Amino acid sequence: MSAAAKNNQPATGISPVPPWAHGICAGLHASGCREVIYVPDNPLSHILRVLARDYPDMRATLATREEEALGIAAGLYLGGARPALMMQSSGLGNTLNALGSLLVAYQIPALFIISMRGDPGEWNWAQVPMGRAVVPVLNAFGIQHAAIERSETAEETIRTAAALAFGTRQPVACLLPRRLTTSGGRS
Amino acid sequence: MNRIEAIRCISNTLTDEPVIVSLGHPAYDLFAAGDRPLNFYTWGSMGLTSSIALGLARARPDRRVMALDGDGSLLMNLGSLATIGVYAPPNLCIVVMDNGEYGTTGGQKTATGGAADLEGAARALGIARAGTVRDEAGLEAMLRESRSLPGPWLVVAKVEESAPTMKPPLDCVFIKQRFMAALGNSEAGIEGTELPQ
Repeated sequence: MSAAAKNNQPATGISPVPPWAHGICAGLHASGCREVIYVPDNPLSHILRVLARDYPDMRATLATREEEALGIAAGLYLGGARPALMMQSSGLGNTLNALGSLLVAYQIPALFIISMRGDPGEWNWAQVPMGRAVVPVLNAFGIQHAAIERSETAEETIRTAAALAFGTRQPVACLLPRRLTTSGGRS
Repeated sequence: MNRIEAIRCISNTLTDEPVIVSLGHPAYDLFAAGDRPLNFYTWGSMGLTSSIALGLARARPDRRVMALDGDGSLLMNLGSLATIGVYAPPNLCIVVMDNGEYGTTGGQKTATGGAADLEGAARALGIARAGTVRDEAGLEAMLRESRSLPGPWLVVAKVEESAPTMKPPLDCVFIKQRFMAALGNSEAGIEGTELPQ
């Protein structure tokens, strides 16, 4: 685990890890993903904590911007890895040209884990337009996607999405709705 | 030194290094200087050459990885130098063809045609082994040094624009599969498989 990812751990007042974060990490590991490239978001911090603590053979790489993260993921794939990308939905907007002209055009697979803003539960007006655009944008690129609605389905959703991505060489997205990430996903 | 002279100079030093090359004129000139399966020609994703090379360098620490970028492209993704400064892969060498203009789109001036200094930016962002060269002798000397001292390296080659004469293959999937096979990372199934009996 890199120093950058370790620094992501809160020093004090650590909240309990929500069960969906464990499911996502288990799904990534079972799918052979050992490389996670990310730009941080609050819900994703739970996943990063679990990775750092429980998955010593997985490595996180912090990017300065989501588009850059796609480039790093592409290079990792060319080198034989199965990359997962983690970002907030706002960051998906920063990736679009790279998504089309690198991952889709070259058939370079990556598993996207996208924490949602602007969906039900949102309070910030500025986050709503990009949030509304996420699914139409993914559809416009032909990128298949699934939402993780409950903690119980997190691991399976990640595993099946990863099988699709790496089996058929395309980017595939798993969305984390706010109703999952802000309730802890306890159903 | 113009760009094709600089790229020929780089190409002549290559052995088994994978090279990620920026779209447009740098890719055209690398192809003209000598096509090889270990050249990864980008046809889009402007700015991401050094990021792709960083990912490859992290996945394959056993190989020296080169990025061949342009000044306009790198200026789009300067954050990449900060990330490279943090993870500091010793096997990564970035060479920037710095002509101070957007050569592929008609010669509009870039920021390095004004006050910007990519060597200084690299140093400030944590890449200590950074340098600027202005002729082929200087470029050859710095490339030699980059083989003997661990990276990450950033070499800024000040060049004049030159007219490209060739285009690399356009098929992105072909470029990728040829490149991965040459690295020993062939994608599953591309040659067919036997069914279990």
